[in-house]
Formats: sequence, structure tokens, C-alpha cells
Amino acid sequence: MTRQALYTGLILLGTSLAIFFWKVFVLDTPLRPSNPSDLWQVEFQLSARGKSERGSLRASLPATDEGQVIFDERSAADGLSFTIRDKQGTRTGIWSGVLTGVHNVVYGFRVKLGHVDIPLEGIGNTPPPADIVAAYLGDSLEFPRSEPDVVEALGRLGLPNQSDVIGRVRSITAFVVEEFAAVDTASQDALLTLARGEGSVLGKTRLLATLLRAAGVPARVTTGLTLKESEPPENTLFVEAWLDDKWLPISPVGAFFGSRPGDLLVLKKGDGSWLESTGVVASGHQIRARRERLRPEELATIMTPASPWLASVSLYRLPLSTQEALRLLLLLPLGALLVATWRNLIGILTYGTFLPVLLSLALRTTSLVLGLFLVFVVLGVGISGRIFVDRLRLLVVPRLGILMCLVVLTMTALALVGERFSERELFAGVVFPVVILTMLIERFSLTLAEEGTANALRKTGSTLLVAIAMYPVLRSELASHLMFGFPELVVGIMGLLTLLGGYTGYRLVDFRRFRSFLRAGKAEPTR
Amino acid sequence: MMPWTALKVAGVLGINRRNLEFILPKNPRRAYPNVDDKLITKRLCLEADIPVPSLLAQAASPFDLKHMAPLLDGQPCFVMKPARGAMGNGTLVIRSVEHTKDGVFFVRSGGKRLTPAELWYHGSGIIAGLYSLGGRHDRVMVEELLTTHPELARLSTDGVPDIRIILYRGVPVMSMVRLPTRKALGRANLHQGAVGAGIQLHDGRTHHAVCQNEPISTHPDNGEPLIGQPIPQFARALEIAMRAADQSGLGYVGADVVVDAEKGPVILELNARPGLSIQIANRAGLAPRLEAVDRYLGAPAAQARPEALGVDERLDLGRRIAGPPG
Repeated sequence: MTRQALYTGLILLGTSLAIFFWKVFVLDTPLRPSNPSDLWQVEFQLSARGKSERGSLRASLPATDEGQVIFDERSAADGLSFTIRDKQGTRTGIWSGVLTGVHNVVYGFRVKLGHVDIPLEGIGNTPPPADIVAAYLGDSLEFPRSEPDVVEALGRLGLPNQSDVIGRVRSITAFVVEEFAAVDTASQDALLTLARGEGSVLGKTRLLATLLRAAGVPARVTTGLTLKESEPPENTLFVEAWLDDKWLPISPVGAFFGSRPGDLLVLKKGDGSWLESTGVVASGHQIRARRERLRPEELATIMTPASPWLASVSLYRLPLSTQEALRLLLLLPLGALLVATWRNLIGILTYGTFLPVLLSLALRTTSLVLGLFLVFVVLGVGISGRIFVDRLRLLVVPRLGILMCLVVLTMTALALVGERFSERELFAGVVFPVVILTMLIERFSLTLAEEGTANALRKTGSTLLVAIAMYPVLRSELASHLMFGFPELVVGIMGLLTLLGGYTGYRLVDFRRFRSFLRAGKAEPTR
Repeated sequence: MMPWTALKVAGVLGINRRNLEFILPKNPRRAYPNVDDKLITKRLCLEADIPVPSLLAQAASPFDLKHMAPLLDGQPCFVMKPARGAMGNGTLVIRSVEHTKDGVFFVRSGGKRLTPAELWYHGSGIIAGLYSLGGRHDRVMVEELLTTHPELARLSTDGVPDIRIILYRGVPVMSMVRLPTRKALGRANLHQGAVGAGIQLHDGRTHHAVCQNEPISTHPDNGEPLIGQPIPQFARALEIAMRAADQSGLGYVGADVVVDAEKGPVILELNARPGLSIQIANRAGLAPRLEAVDRYLGAPAAQARPEALGVDERLDLGRRIAGPPG
């Protein structure tokens, strides 16, 4: 190794480790993900096509309340001005300005969700205060508590007497949950739901609140989001009933009573539209959520460290979609390091230098066995196709194009087969590596022609082997957390690669290849 | 002894060190085409009066191929191969040409008869890049078929034995003869099962032989003894290898020499990344010899090339470095 390479490598490695240890020991940046289950990162993406006039987008924003703490809010307003209006604990985000063309605004926040659990023993002995009564016990179009049908239905229930408030609430809930089918297309109206014996979730929610009000319990409808990992959050409507001095959460579909699940985020009071707009032709929204891997105090050390400069380069501030892309991207250097190790320390030759990395990243989205099975199917079809295409004597680029078409067709077929056997993963997993697989097929075929079947198979085997060996590393949450939380490690990897690049010692396979030199003394010919 | 130390003590050169300390600094990238394209190698050798198999015809396009036929007319035997092929892939050996009432037939070394159309088809496959590295377009070259020197032919079954000589800074440092076997399908590739026998530089005799990494003393097919065999005209082979290496512009090069019954040693091809198995065939490491060359010639010049020494002095140096028997 040249001195230059040695020093460059050591300097890169040293710099990276210095920053790394400084962050770990001085700034207390957490080294491994602590995986609190109740911390989420949520992002609303609103888009609207404007009429080229003044207008606004108004979205309900969640507020810090019982069972949830909202923090680290941020918004990318896309040229609009952003304000938050807070009216009696109901928060509305307003993006306003002249709306021209398409505007995409993003609002993100972190939330710590708590499990709200209200003890039901001996509850409901205090009459509700006047302001609650005024707001949540009255008769309205949405909650027609004085309609004869409602009063009559309530009468038929045979409720426990007035002193057992919680017993009354239970009976009414059981009635709504069990007697009314939830049908998405059915009515959203409380009376129609009551009359027909079925209603939409909103219809059931309103009916429950109406019946509770009719029974003298203040009630309101609340809109929430059930957060899920790797799936869009699900809209969740529920009723809150005032008992003593608390709002008791009740699911109209029997999902919970008196306690709120730990993944339910309260978005707004009431059941009105979550997103409103003026001056726009059309608008839409998308909500993403991701479970946070760090505890709030750990996040705080990352987000608000001693130096504001350091805070500004923290990747945790980026929009969620960018964060996810970066998490993947930052794994690539790790893959490069692994490939270089395999090649120059161990000596296993693979197709294409970084093909195993890409393959491994592709396998990452499916389970290993299924992923490998898919790779084998696609490779098998591709290689047989290639053998046929070979006979046609075509130029290289059109030939590769045909192979890619074959790979796409195979995947289409797999999607159909997968749907049939309800194995959607069959498709989802393999969209990414079309190009990778095409290249693998081409390389395989060339090796087949140049070095024979045995060598082609051996090289395919070692390519897959390296990809499989890399799989656990690239899938590990620790690796993802480390590379994302400490991007300076990439510099360290560059340092290691420099050192590896200057390594003139033996590879592991050399010891096998030159094993005759390892035998003691001068070997005598055996034949 | 730990495996690591054992290899180190034996002076075995590994791939990493070969690439980093010898190929990278001594073989300039721009000189690679000189050896990767056998037509360029041939031209360079001819310019310096280095014997090579004579070129009968060449073709860079299917159109050229059609015009090849008259050139091959009257040739009893020839070899068709890609200019940029590797490891003998795409090489077609025509032993004889038969003129029958059904037309002309080209007879391959295995006895299979090819029509002119089939021969043309093979040529177009070469041009399409079927056998070249990375599938690039290639040229067809047709060479005379060499007759192996009887001394060497005796040692191998079928196929053409060749002599591999490693030259560093123009100095021959190690050599072996590769003898095809039936197992290697008549090819001289060690990893396919051909025999490799190390040659002592000072007397041109084989001193050690391996087949599939195992030491052997007789040829696996015909039982001929493999140790102590003289290689015909070995000094001449070393001389043309040195001159060819000078022409190539490469500082670390492997020369493949075939000893023809009439012409004597000719340069078949040169290699910019010669393999390391030659060390097994010689049961000796390359590293101390390469280091010795650097010691004798002084600090490695930035440029690969000659070194003020003449061919005879370099031959002498190489023999001294390789050491006497024992």
C-alpha cells in the first residue's frame, strides 16, 4: 500500500469516527434504535389545483390533548403562507395565497400516543357542567335526540335506572354495535340508520351519540386516525361521552369502550370534512405515518443539539418520503464495503461488481425465500429466452431489450399467479430489480458462452451467495439507524475502502488455490 | 507455520499484490489493446521481426467474410479465431479441406465436416462479438495451422502445447509448458485439467508438474515422464518473448509461445494479466523474483520499458534470479 493511500484511508476513517464518537458521547446521540412503540412520525400531503385567484386550504390539525402529545411540527407551504388557528383546542392549519397551478403542501409532526384508559367503576355520579350540557346535549340536525323514533327506540331498550349512568351507556352502545350492520354505502344519517337497521360507520356513530344525548349523556363525534406501519393510516370515527369530568371514548363498531387504543390519533372534534378549500378546482390529500425508532428525549438530542448548525444538518428534519429514500440510499455504501470485502479479502468473484448489492436490496422488500424463488423463476425464463434469442443473431442492445421485455412479461405473469393464490408479495417484491435481473441474465449467458455451464452456474451461485450474505445486514434496523443517524459513517466507509484498495495481502481463496505450498517440505509427485 | 506465513515464505504472489504492485504501475492502460487484440499483437511482432503464425486472412464485416474464400483457396489447413477472444473460445481448427462432388468440406480437428456456409456462419458469430470480452464487435483472423514440434507433441495427447513465460520489466522470471489433456478437451487451460510443467530457465528442462493442483510425474493420458524433459529451442523462445514484451509496452506480461516443427518458436499471444497458477506448476513463488528484478534494475522507472539492458543480459539476469536447480 502506498503511504498516500494509507494516510488518506486513516484520515477518512479517523475523521468519521471522531464525529461519530463526539455525537455518541458528547451529544448523547443514541447508538441503537430504542423502538418505543408509541412514537410516530406523521405527514400530511395536501395538493390542490388553484383557479389563479386568492384561496386557501384548511386542514384540521391534531392537538396535544389527553393521550397524545404533538411536537416537532413543520410545514412546507409551497409558496403559500401558513398559519395555525387555535380555537378552543381545535386547531386548523391554513395555507393561503394566490393559488396558481398545482400546489403541494406538506405538514409533518411527531406524536407520542398514550393508551387512554378510563376506570369505569362508580363513574357517572356527577351531573355535567352547564357548558358541556349546552354544547353536547342539545338537539340538532346531526343528533336529533328529541325525534319520536329516537325516544321510542330508547324506551324499548329497557335501560337501567337513572343512577346507573355507566350501565345506560353500555346498554345503548351494545344496542348500536350489535343491532346495526355497518355498510359503507348505507346512510350517514342517524334517523335513517335507526329506521333501516343498517348504516355507514358515520351513521352508526351519529346514532350512538344521538341515543346517548337522548338518555341525558352529553356526547360528541370525534375523528381519528388509526396509524399503521407500511400502510396508510385508517380513518376512525368514534363517540365520546361525558361522564363525571372525562370524555369516555366509545367505538360505534365495538372496537373499544372506555379506553382508546395506543395507535389511535385524535385528529379533530366532530365529523365534518377534514380538508376544506376555497379558490381551488380540485384538491386531494395523502397521509403517511412511520413508527419512530427513537424515544422523544433521544430525538430531542438529535433535533436540538448544542449547535444549531448540527440541528440543521440532521436528516430527521427532512420530509418523510425523502427520509425513506435516504434510508435506502445510505445503505448502499455499506453494500459497497461488503462487496469489496468479498472480492478482495475473500476472493469470491461475482457478476457485475455491485450486482449483489442491488440484488440484496431488491430481496429486502420480500422474504428471503420468496425473493430467491422469484429470482430463480425470472432467471430461468430469461436464460431460456436468451438461448433462443441467441439463435436469431441480433445486435447487443435490441437483444438486451428483448430480454428486458421477457423479464417484464414473467413478472406480469407472476402478478397474475400471485393474485390467484392471494400471494400479492409475488408481485410487489420484484418490481424494483427488472434491470438488475436483465443484466444478470445477460452476464450469465455471456459466461455460458465464454467459460462453460459449470463456470456460469458457479458465478451465479456466488453472486446469489454474496447477495444472501448481505441480506441480513442490509435489512437490519440497526444498520439503517446507524447509517441514517450517523451519515458521517459514509466517510469512514470511504476510508475503509481506501485501506482495502491498498491491501496487497492474500485473499482467503489463495490459501486454497496455493495449498500445495502449505504442505511441509518439498512435496513428492503422487503419480 | 500459519498458512499466511507459509505462503509468504514461499514467496507466493497473490492477486491483490499482482494487481496493485505490478500490473497497475507497470501496465499502462493505453498499451492494453496491443495485447488484447491479437491482430495488433501480430503487427507489432512483425515490425520487430518476431516470428508469429502467418496471417492468411482477416475480416471485420460479413462483407469481408465473403471475400475471404479465395484467400483460403488452396490452403490445406488453417485456424479461424476471434482477434479479441479469451482462453481459446471461438477458435476453429480446420485440419484439411475436402473437394467432393457435393462441394467443398472443411474438416475440423475432431473430424466434423463443415460446409462453407457453416464456416461463414461461425465467422459472422465472431464478428457479432459472440466470443469477445463483453460481447463487443470483433474481427475474424485466419492463421496458418502450426505443427507442434515432435519433442513437445510427444508429451501431450491432442491440442497444441504452449509455453507461458512471465516477463517483468523485460526480464523472463518464470516459465511453464502447458500440455493439453483429454480431460481439458485438448485445451491448454490449467483450470480445465491441462498439465502445467515448470521449466527451469537455465537449462530449459521441466522440473515439476501439476495437474488439477496435484503434483504428478507422468502425463495422465499417455504416461510420458514429465520431469527433466528438455523443451526444444527454449532459449530462442525466451528471446522472442523478451522482444515481444518490449514491443507490447507492458512491464508485466505473459507471453504464450508455440514451438513449430519448422518455424521454431513463434509468439501466439501476449497477456496483460497473466494468471498466477504458473507458481503452482513451478512450486515456486513469483514475488522474490520480481523483487530481485527491481533490485537489479534499480528503482522501478515510472515507465514500464526497457531498461537499458540488452536481450542477452536480461536473459542472463532472469536465469540468475530464477536460481540454479536445487
